[in-house]
Amino acid sequence: MEPKDDNYYIEKVLSGETNYFSYIVEKYQDIVFSIALKVLRNREDAEEMAQESFIKAYKSLGSFRGSAKFSTWLYRITYNTCISETRKKKQHFTSTDDVQISDEAEEMNLDGIPEENRARYIKEALEKLPEDEYTLVLLYYFEEKSVDEICTVTGLSASNAKVKLFRARKKLYTILNEMLKDELHTIL
Amino acid sequence: MNMKREIEDKKLKAFLKSGQLESPGPDFSNRVMNRVFEEKAALEQVKSEPLLGKGFWIILALFAGLMAVVFVMQGSGISGGQTFSFLKEVNTSAVATGYQNFFEKLGAVPLSVAGILLGTSVLLFLEKYLSNRSYVVS
Repeated sequence: MEPKDDNYYIEKVLSGETNYFSYIVEKYQDIVFSIALKVLRNREDAEEMAQESFIKAYKSLGSFRGSAKFSTWLYRITYNTCISETRKKKQHFTSTDDVQISDEAEEMNLDGIPEENRARYIKEALEKLPEDEYTLVLLYYFEEKSVDEICTVTGLSASNAKVKLFRARKKLYTILNEMLKDELHTIL
Repeated sequence: MNMKREIEDKKLKAFLKSGQLESPGPDFSNRVMNRVFEEKAALEQVKSEPLLGKGFWIILALFAGLMAVVFVMQGSGISGGQTFSFLKEVNTSAVATGYQNFFEKLGAVPLSVAGILLGTSVLLFLEKYLSNRSYVVS
């Protein structure tokens, strides 16, 4: 079946054809789960909260006005659900915000990273980011959301989101540089 | 400077997109849909039930009846003592003794208040009984 716009599936669900909600779940499950996993740091909890986020979205679908993109609305539900869960459980994770931004982080030749190792590099580098910066990177670079949309999801101000994105990018470069150095060191 | 950042952003975007996001378990979608159908069924059940159930109307009717009786008794000037003498004439010894003790205790409060208190107790009992029955049926 030819993929349709989100609004098509939403209208179908709202008209009583609940089965169509599965298209929405299939489309967004990875990103919703990734956000949940980063915030909760546990696969079981992340699956539970990702599921909860979809259920909340289904129950509130009638109130979705379409002023923002459906994905932005869904990510905001996910982000808030996961943050509430960490507060409820009074989880205080040790901060991973200890990556010191190096001078080399100003520029980096991403093509220098071997293609066969890229997926692993990206996964490991993203894991080292704190959850707020990870969410920003995910939304901005993976989902190509605008700064305004990111603000809607996270509740950050535009200036704060920009600063955090800038820092996140520098941190990613720092982490990737260090990983490359370590790998070279191992080879030599 | 902005141009340089835009190029950097584009490169990083392309680079990050060559990686993969985390995925939930294989039956995640099915589990979500099962929950969605459960929610839908629960919602439809709530919608199909009248806002005010049968139990509510029975209780309301009984309460209205009770209030009417209390009003009539108060209007005709029947007091607690008279109620007791009526019971004595019927000669229902044990029951009458119970009522005697009960109404003697209530003698200090106006009959209307006593009636409302009694009525409320009966209504609470009925409500509990009816809700238990509907729970068993469902």
